[in-house]
Amino acid sequence: MKETTGQKLFNIFNYSFLALLGIITFYPFWYVLVASFNTGRDFIRGGVWLYPREFTLENYSLAFRDERILTSLGISVSATVLCCLSGLMFTALAAYAMSVKTLPGKTFMSFFWYFTTIFGGGMIPYYMVLRGLGLTSSFWLYIIPSIYSFYNFILLRTNFAAIPYELRESAQLDGASEWTILSRIYLPLSKPILATLTLFIGVGKWNDWFTGAYYQAKTELYPAATVLQKILSEATASSQVKVGQETTVGSMTSYTSMSLQMAFVMILTMPIVIIYPFLQKYYVKGVMVGSVKG
Amino acid sequence: MGRKSVSVALSLEQKNYNRKRMWIQAKKHKVLYLFMLPCIIWLLVFCYAPMAGIILAFKSYRFDLGIFGSEWAGLKHFKSFMTSPEFWVTIRNTVVISGAKIICCFPAPIILALLLNEIRSAGFKRTIQTMSYLPNFVSWVVVIQLMTAVFTPYGGVVNEIRKLMGLESVFIMGEKSAFYPLVIFSDMWKGVGWGSIVYLSAITGIDQGLYEAATIDGANRWQCTWHITLPGISTTIGIMFIMAVGGILNAGYDQILLLQQPANMQISQVLDTYVLQTGLKYGKFEYATAIGLFKSLFSLLVVAATNHLSQKFAEVGLW
Repeated sequence: MKETTGQKLFNIFNYSFLALLGIITFYPFWYVLVASFNTGRDFIRGGVWLYPREFTLENYSLAFRDERILTSLGISVSATVLCCLSGLMFTALAAYAMSVKTLPGKTFMSFFWYFTTIFGGGMIPYYMVLRGLGLTSSFWLYIIPSIYSFYNFILLRTNFAAIPYELRESAQLDGASEWTILSRIYLPLSKPILATLTLFIGVGKWNDWFTGAYYQAKTELYPAATVLQKILSEATASSQVKVGQETTVGSMTSYTSMSLQMAFVMILTMPIVIIYPFLQKYYVKGVMVGSVKG
Repeated sequence: MGRKSVSVALSLEQKNYNRKRMWIQAKKHKVLYLFMLPCIIWLLVFCYAPMAGIILAFKSYRFDLGIFGSEWAGLKHFKSFMTSPEFWVTIRNTVVISGAKIICCFPAPIILALLLNEIRSAGFKRTIQTMSYLPNFVSWVVVIQLMTAVFTPYGGVVNEIRKLMGLESVFIMGEKSAFYPLVIFSDMWKGVGWGSIVYLSAITGIDQGLYEAATIDGANRWQCTWHITLPGISTTIGIMFIMAVGGILNAGYDQILLLQQPANMQISQVLDTYVLQTGLKYGKFEYATAIGLFKSLFSLLVVAATNHLSQKFAEVGLW
């Protein structure tokens, strides 16, 4: 089929527009990556756009020597791992039980799960519960309140319900217990969706700054994302003071802290970029399953 | 008369029998209930207990007496919120920010999906998709930090370009007038690629035969898009729209909290951030709970209304 001039023009526009869009979404990451490998003193002079002009690893070694950053990274890593494990385990148990067709009281239970998605107590009563349980000054704040989510539950249950029922029945005839059926048949058959869920939970936990910033009373228990937010808001507050004046005094500390921030941002982004190929493969699938089956 | 009582007796017997059978069934499945138990306890503690905590909104909370022991205050907190100057300011800000997001950020993924659909080169398409999905996976903190780096007056790329063009450098992130554009721009930047997936998958579901038939009839690509692709994904668009409108009072608090500064407080304070400020910062728990409840009920109303309207006019609905 021959293309008309209009279509050719449209193609040119379309390719360049999308290329521009790709650059706009990707460039900020690249820019900060470059900044994190450039010396702060040089970077502040401007013009470092595409590659580091004065290459250094100093920013990263500073970041990894910072007590506050290091502790918070440890907390984030352990929270992410524990959250994935406990989240998967408890969600899988409940989703499996709810996927059994003959379970009495299933209709009522469905309502029990579903109602929480249309109405909630709001942030303050939720906070009071957390505080009442003593979670607001504990590491478990990051684990226990997030072992369950309705979306993950539905995703897993839909997947379990699609597994042929005969498998369960014949295993039962052979004398298998519910736990055996779940762990030997259902879970191995659901590996892709389990991978999806692990990524959902893991990425969400790694990125969560809010829980730490608003619900955590102990600053030494802040996760990395929260610490980054605190550093950011401190920096914003101080730069607002400075913006009117000429910044010669104290600029030494301000530009090193800025490069340090860039390195920290990259440390937080890197794990996401590393697992990005898996994210794309499984996450996309998860979103599609969720959107098609509701 | 006699026949009736017999049938009543029969149905009673049937009922008893059913109940018995259900009990036997339930006993047979007791392990399954045990499986559910952790999540049931979790829901009771983290979802249903906060719901009970809502009564705090009608109490004068005293720490020593606890939620249930404190005195009733009736609708005092609702009244004082609705008559306070913050009421209209927060409502206005919430609706303005959400509304602007719906107008600007809702159509963006649809347009992106349609444009991507027109790309013939699979490699190019995949590259653009890969790039545009990435922001969805990073934290809002990282996004704001990236923005700060790009917009800062100290060597930031945007201000460098402004300098090259002969303009003076400005502290964009601290500008009050830049707050709404930044909120909308960053929301779009983070969500547009990811949002397009739903529409792209809906487009894949359209019958290819329709396009072939239309092309034979002499339709060009624009006509195909307008008459086949768009109607083909209209249900998806409808459902996504109802969900977007239903969340109109949400406005995305974690993003806003991060962009909030004393300079823009007057236009950036939304319902959720106000709840956090009054509740967690100033410790006015009962007042903040009342605002939260007001918001939940109002949201529920909005969702129901949109659902009703769209079912009536577009025959699309969530339920």
